[in-house]
Amino acid sequence: MISEVARVITYVEVSPLDAFEVFTAEVDLWWRRGPRFRGGGPESELYFEHDGRGRRLLERGHEGVFEIGRVQVWEPGKRLLLEYRLRNFATDERTEVEVRFEEQGKGTRVVLEHRGWEALRPEHPARHGLTGESFSGMIGLHWGDLITAFRQHARKRS
Amino acid sequence: MTRARVQNALPPIEATLLALADPTRRGAVELLRLGPLRAGELAGALNMSKSALSRHLRVLRESGLVREESMPEDARVHVYSLQRKPFDSLRCWLDEVESYWALQLESFKRQAERTRGPKSKRGRPE
Repeated sequence: MISEVARVITYVEVSPLDAFEVFTAEVDLWWRRGPRFRGGGPESELYFEHDGRGRRLLERGHEGVFEIGRVQVWEPGKRLLLEYRLRNFATDERTEVEVRFEEQGKGTRVVLEHRGWEALRPEHPARHGLTGESFSGMIGLHWGDLITAFRQHARKRS
Repeated sequence: MTRARVQNALPPIEATLLALADPTRRGAVELLRLGPLRAGELAGALNMSKSALSRHLRVLRESGLVREESMPEDARVHVYSLQRKPFDSLRCWLDEVESYWALQLESFKRQAERTRGPKSKRGRPE
C-alpha cells in the first residue's frame, strides 16, 4: 500500500464511550494551545455544535468563529468522521480526519487518520511564502502558516 | 516570492500528492513496486490502451515518481521504474502531520485518563 494517510494510534485507560465523550465534549480542554495548534489566538475556544443540519467543529477566536469542519459520522463510542480545514483553505477545500474508538482490554485503542490532501488544488494559497527549500517543500501546504510564524520568529531573534 | 515563481516551483510534495490522487496512477505505482515494467505491460495489467495510459505516465514522470529508461540490451525497449526520493519526501511530510496529531492525542489521553481513568475520582472500580 502507498501510504498517503497520516495515522496516529494511542491507548487510553477509559471506555470507548468515555473516550469519545472526552474527544468531543471536552475538545477545548485537551486540544493543545499555541499557534501550531490553534489559529484563533490565546483566547481560542474549540467546540462541537449542532446547527440543525448537523454537527460542526468550530473555533471561536480573535477573528470570530471559524468552522474547522462538519461532522460526517457521529457514532459515540465508535467512530467520528470530520472534515478538517485550515484557515488558508478555500471554502470548498477540505481534508478529512477519522477517529475510531476500539475497545481493547480495559480501555480503548484510539486510531486517528488524516487524509485527503491530494484533493487540494495545486495553486493553493497555503503555498504562499514557500521558497522551495527542501524543508518547506517537505512540510508542504499543511504547515504553511506554521513555517511563516517560525520564520518571523527566527527573524526577530537574528 | 513572485506568483510566477510559485507556479513554476511546485513543491515536490504537492506534485507527489497530485500524481497519486488518481486511481489509475496509483494502480501503475502499485504494479511498479514489484519491479520495472514496459508501458505496454502496464497498460495490459491496468486493462487500458497504451494511449490512454500515456498521459498518466507523463504525470508520473513529471512528478518524479517514475523514470523511463531504455534497456541496456535493446535501446528500443523502454521500461518504467519507481524512484525512491518522492516517496521518501511524502513519508517525511506525513511524519510531520503525524507528529502534530501525536501531540494532540497525547494531550487527549492525559485529559481522558485524568478525568475518567481508573485512578481518577470519577473512575469506576474494576
